[in-house]
Amino acid sequence: MMKNKLLNGSLVNIAISDIDFKPGPFCMSFHFNLEPLKASIKKFGVINPPYLLRNSDNNFSVVAGYQRLMAVKELGWQDIMCHILPDSFSLLDALLFNLNDNLLHRQLNNIEKGMILQRLTRFITTEEIVTNFMPILGIPSNKQQLELFLGLEDLEERIKISVAMEQLSIRVAGLLRYLEKNDRLAINDLFTSLKWSFNQQWEIIQWIKEIASRVGCSMKEIIDSKDIKEVLDTTMMNKPQKAKGIVKLLKYMRFPSLSKAEKLFNKSISNLSLPFGVKIIPPPFFEGTDYKLEIKFRKDEDLKGKLANLYNLANLNNISDFWKGV
Amino acid sequence: MKRFNVNRILIEREAENDSLSKRIIEKLPNIPIEYVALNELALQEDIEEMDKESLRLIHYKGEFLKPCPGTRRYICCGYQILNVGINCPMECSYCFLQSYVNQPSLRLFTNLKDRLNVIGEFIDNHPERIFRIGTGEFTDSLALNYITGWTHFLLPFFSYKKNCILELKTKTSFIKEIIKSGYRKRTVVAWSLNTSRVIASEEGKTASIEERIISARECQKAGFVVAFHFDPLIHYSGWENEYEEVIQLLERYIDPTSIIWISIGSFRYMPELKWRILKRFPDTHIFDGEFITGLDGKQRYFKPIRVEMYAKLSERLIKWHDNLGIYFCMESDDVWEQSLGWSPKNSSNLSLYLDNRVRMIMPA
Repeated sequence: MMKNKLLNGSLVNIAISDIDFKPGPFCMSFHFNLEPLKASIKKFGVINPPYLLRNSDNNFSVVAGYQRLMAVKELGWQDIMCHILPDSFSLLDALLFNLNDNLLHRQLNNIEKGMILQRLTRFITTEEIVTNFMPILGIPSNKQQLELFLGLEDLEERIKISVAMEQLSIRVAGLLRYLEKNDRLAINDLFTSLKWSFNQQWEIIQWIKEIASRVGCSMKEIIDSKDIKEVLDTTMMNKPQKAKGIVKLLKYMRFPSLSKAEKLFNKSISNLSLPFGVKIIPPPFFEGTDYKLEIKFRKDEDLKGKLANLYNLANLNNISDFWKGV
Repeated sequence: MKRFNVNRILIEREAENDSLSKRIIEKLPNIPIEYVALNELALQEDIEEMDKESLRLIHYKGEFLKPCPGTRRYICCGYQILNVGINCPMECSYCFLQSYVNQPSLRLFTNLKDRLNVIGEFIDNHPERIFRIGTGEFTDSLALNYITGWTHFLLPFFSYKKNCILELKTKTSFIKEIIKSGYRKRTVVAWSLNTSRVIASEEGKTASIEERIISARECQKAGFVVAFHFDPLIHYSGWENEYEEVIQLLERYIDPTSIIWISIGSFRYMPELKWRILKRFPDTHIFDGEFITGLDGKQRYFKPIRVEMYAKLSERLIKWHDNLGIYFCMESDDVWEQSLGWSPKNSSNLSLYLDNRVRMIMPA
């Protein structure tokens, strides 16, 4: 059916001024770099002509080839050969046509995947999208994920660019939707100014949210606090060091008692003067009561020596309940 | 406190002829009824919002009496749960049922009365044991009692069981029905207590602290033994003064000599519950505290915080009366020792301690 319709699509020379360049109902391109495409067009021309559909203003809507058209426009072309799809071509078919074209030729970023899903919701039921389209886009097929991707379009351009460039995790972007605008922009700036893993981002955003909730201020105020600003602005640290420094600061703000206990524990352990290669490991979060002793050694003599040193350590009887001083 | 709104009754076909179904229909004559098949209309959307204004009447095929699951990593009290239904019309932000139930609506088991003989037989076959049984684990014991009339048959039934007590745990002030009942023996009426701030912000549609404690006084006056549960304790700036206010209310209204026990437990939750809670209660403050992963995988307050709260609260309660049967819910031996100065050491000993409270306060 689709094949027949396409065969009827005619190749026509269209004036660039007759093409509607606003991202329309079939557009699924976001944050792209036109320079390589422009270079290619300069050298070889437009190898695959774009597809257009006549719209109600008697102009042309772009169905497929949005980036090619943007490139030729920037190159100053006045007109271009395009396929004009027949008026009988449905909007859904046009959308699916462009989707297939894109899937064949390039990788889609997460914002573009959100755009596709958003546009599909105009024509197709949620169940169908979840079952048939999310797997094609490489997204786990469930309604929560669909909701997450659909919400991306409402985010500010700056945040969308961070998601598209994979500087901001999709999971964090999902959470940003529920925050105040100033808070989410501040989070976005914090996460894009330094290099964070997506797991770190997820942990940090929750810490900031919970600190703000406890203190009774905005998340932006936490990010703008003097201590964090100092780390961000210092020239004495590189980016990974800054990220590490901020994690440390936020951990102390989020878990003051636990941080204090860890500090006390480390201090007590260092006072023990344990032999080299010997470690005392506390129970996770000091919740249990059993500590572990780790000894690194190479040969039996080495082990014997370390055990003898340990046995003679005078301070060993002071190692219980480090956290009690918290 | 207002009664809860019910806007539809779903009756699973097998429950149609159960006596409880008939009573509920009679009690709610103007509420639309839909007859449904097993699990029919259990939609995902309904589960997320929990559909708390629908009653679903179910002919329950599972075990009605089950031991509280507890955990081997902490000391548990050896409680038995009488499964009268699942889900609750109140809206406590921290409620574990939000991630525990996989079916919506207030689910009521209509064949409970018909199965009491099996439960009775089991209890009678173990005369050496004390059964501490509660209905308030998966629902509130009294919130729907004006519709279900559970206490109409549970109170007389348990009043004859000498090796057993029934604890009705609630956050309501719905005590009229039980006070009207002529049965007092073997029934404990218990209230979950919290500060006015926590009740206002985290325990939606529940009775105020004053209403709860005054209801407890009414029950005491009417001859019931009472219990209290400071659970979940919430740690926030000012907690100490505000829990002190709750204890002052107890002092003012309650006779401590007929309290069978007071349990204390701090807020703890399975990690997945957090997202459910944040979705349903985005403005909640219950996650503001300092949580760590406990030995059972649940998130709980960092140990020194728990110890501080438990120690201060129990010290203050003991100052009021030194024989209140204070115990901790799901805590470790070292936390018991550091907070209370003694520990049952293990779950069997805690069971024994509470069984002895039954023998002492409610002798057979």
